[in-house]
Amino acid sequence: MRILFINNDGAGFADHIEIESNMPVAKFFAQKLPHGRPEDYLIRVNRQPVSRDQILREGDRVTITPRKIEGAIVS
Amino acid sequence: MRFNPFAWAKLKFLCHAGDSEIGGFGITSRDDLLLVEDFVTVKQSTTAISVKFDDVAVAEFFEDQVDADRMPEQFARIWLHTHPGDCPNPSSTDEVTFARVFGNCDWAIMFILARGGQTYCRLRFNSGPGGSMNIPVAVDFYTSFAASDHTAWQKEHKRNVTIEPLVPRNRLLAQSDDWDLVEDPFANEVEALLEDDMFEFEVESWEDDQCRI
Repeated sequence: MRILFINNDGAGFADHIEIESNMPVAKFFAQKLPHGRPEDYLIRVNRQPVSRDQILREGDRVTITPRKIEGAIVS
Repeated sequence: MRFNPFAWAKLKFLCHAGDSEIGGFGITSRDDLLLVEDFVTVKQSTTAISVKFDDVAVAEFFEDQVDADRMPEQFARIWLHTHPGDCPNPSSTDEVTFARVFGNCDWAIMFILARGGQTYCRLRFNSGPGGSMNIPVAVDFYTSFAASDHTAWQKEHKRNVTIEPLVPRNRLLAQSDDWDLVEDPFANEVEALLEDDMFEFEVESWEDDQCRI
């Protein structure tokens, strides 16, 4: 099954990839970002936030982007 | 790292467009990942001393940039934000964000522009043994660049930058009618001092003209 995957970790990625059918979002995240904590990322499919048990479908567009990007002059 | 004049002018303009910090991402060409050709903001909540990007806006930014045929290394590796005053050095909040958000990237840059014009720029990389180093910054006038567009930049600031008031430290909230000091941590201390017979103080007479400017 082919999906479009976008994320910024490692070398960064924005391309089509092959994954196994009926894969839940949580499993996909664990495979692609094994070091990552889900709470540090916003996971969207086709521009919509999804639950961890949502099943990915052929042609889905999966975006995993960082959350809580913040700066401050004081801590 | 270099800015083309357009990107530098836009960053400087937005730095002074409001009384708050601002932040965004540097956009580079595919051929030169250390040449910033544009500075792009996303929706963000700011105060005079902080900036926080909207998570959904960051996701939308990524999707839009990919739709524009850019790779993440062109639009998501250079994190820029501003500081009030003259100090561009990163705070602990900046360092935590840089490590958490960009620490797993092959490389990333944290750039800070102080309102006084001072800059801070650090490259962090994970190749080989990994490491980080401060790198010089320049504006490259030899590149081709677009004309400045203050009207569009002002619109972008208005669209993306929400400026929040700073929360009063002792919570003497303006909405409070009776100016209750219960939440002031020093309130009891002051009260005890005033009741202490050993604590002497004088009240000077107040002249009305002391209030006038």
